[in-house]
Amino acid sequence: MAKLITVDALDYVYPDGTPALFDINLEIAEEEFIAFIGQNGSGKTTLSKCLNGLLRPTQGSIIVDDLDTRQRGIIKQLVTKVGYVFQNPDHQLFNRTVWAEIAYGPNNIGLSQSEVKERVIEAAQVAGVHEDVFDTHPYFLDKGLRQRVAIASILALRPKTIIVDEPTTGQDVRQSIEVMNFLKRLRDEEGHTIIIITHEMRIVADYAERTVVLGKGRKLLDGPTREVFAQPEILKQTFVEPPQITQVGQALVEEGLPNDVLSVEEMKVAFNRK
Amino acid sequence: MDAAIKFKDLQWRYEHRTNFALKGINLEIIKNDFIGVVGANEHGKTTLVSAICGLIPHSYNGIYKGSVEVFGKKVFDSDALELATNVGFVFSDPEAQFTAMTVEEELAFGLENMGFEHAKIKERIDWAAETTSIQDLLDKSPYDISGGQKQRVAIACVLAMNPPIIIMDEPTSMIDPLGKNLIFDILRRLKKAGEHTLIVVEHNVEQLAPLADKMLLMYEGLVDRYLPTREFYSDSNYLQDRGVLAPESTEFVQWLISENALPASINLPLDLAGGIETTRQALKRR
Repeated sequence: MAKLITVDALDYVYPDGTPALFDINLEIAEEEFIAFIGQNGSGKTTLSKCLNGLLRPTQGSIIVDDLDTRQRGIIKQLVTKVGYVFQNPDHQLFNRTVWAEIAYGPNNIGLSQSEVKERVIEAAQVAGVHEDVFDTHPYFLDKGLRQRVAIASILALRPKTIIVDEPTTGQDVRQSIEVMNFLKRLRDEEGHTIIIITHEMRIVADYAERTVVLGKGRKLLDGPTREVFAQPEILKQTFVEPPQITQVGQALVEEGLPNDVLSVEEMKVAFNRK
Repeated sequence: MDAAIKFKDLQWRYEHRTNFALKGINLEIIKNDFIGVVGANEHGKTTLVSAICGLIPHSYNGIYKGSVEVFGKKVFDSDALELATNVGFVFSDPEAQFTAMTVEEELAFGLENMGFEHAKIKERIDWAAETTSIQDLLDKSPYDISGGQKQRVAIACVLAMNPPIIIMDEPTSMIDPLGKNLIFDILRRLKKAGEHTLIVVEHNVEQLAPLADKMLLMYEGLVDRYLPTREFYSDSNYLQDRGVLAPESTEFVQWLISENALPASINLPLDLAGGIETTRQALKRR
């Protein structure tokens, strides 16, 4: 798959002097489904903001689709390449109607009214936001739908890469599955690259094919989720534990169980093979 | 055994809603039990606990039928002081309850309002701060600390009042793994001390189940299941149908039993250590 983003020797220091990222190297390709995990303060959100150009590298570089994020005056191009959905949709939604919310981005990058209209209708449809609510104030929608409006407003900019910060916080099991399946469809059917930032390891195990582990501003691990969860000692440095069933297998490797099952279903298969 | 809380056919409908959020709750919670509350969103978890601490009916408008008693006194007839003395409430969003400039003032606020003497206030604050490991935050602003620290301060504020009943509504939903562990450490300490009735609404069952004496499932505005924790989790499929997960170890061992890899009489594990031990036994029997 074609490369979308290249992060090369990235350091980021906040303007007040707080260092946040050290020597991050990362390549992100088309149609990946990636999880960023790690303790708060590990740099997940800072890295995400560097990827969509909200923050400029202190050292090193990020190339997004041939655009160097250190250049000035490219933010309007960057937002059409990397979208960022806030953890709490209420921090992002500020317009008085769902339509205005979704149209905000396309208007802002100077599209014509007919293009804006086309984008809104398309994004709403993909995100499952029905036209019945176009005139509704976002605050009158339930949280799941508010989040889909937040995602639609990003989709309307047609970014290849979409970063979703804590997509399942405060959601119950069914709602979590619904939002995660939706993100998976965006990847499978619309060809987006999806990056989730999350503390829910069951979600990571079920959906992310690749996991990037950050700790104190450094990249600790980066690889297939199965291989990442098979290294509990490194995960511990950033206070992450693999899913409970993975840990059961890891404690019983000498008895013949694998150290990298990702779900109860996989554990059943592994047990039957014994 | 003494009941701390008794629901008698409690029904509650929020103003402007067509359906009753609680449709006839009958429930007894024994003093000093640790109750875990689970269920899909919008099925009545928060409404249930709000009816214990008196937010319902005193802070919301709606239709109230039946009753809830806390230590034999009807919540409906209790005033704010009685309720605050008996029941402490921790929200999932800790900022919802902050008003003071420093953490220490925040902790003292409730106690000063209740007219405690200075020495007593200090003693209570020290105990609450120690139990929640926030001693080094006392002179900080409650707005300048991390999300996990804020939640521990919110819990300390409730502990400082030392109410016999403490309710936490999704206390870890907004914080990171280390922060979650610290909250569960506090719950573990409180459970060990055994001096409080604890009611905790929480999606994180893997950390909740090992602590809970009983689990309560809310479904469509009713108490659908209220059983000692092991019994509660004896049927993962039933729970899954109602949108609730069992700890992964528990679910796996249930499968081992259903495959006859373990006898049905075995104790279901509720935590990682139990899951490892029970799975080891199953491997040995192969």
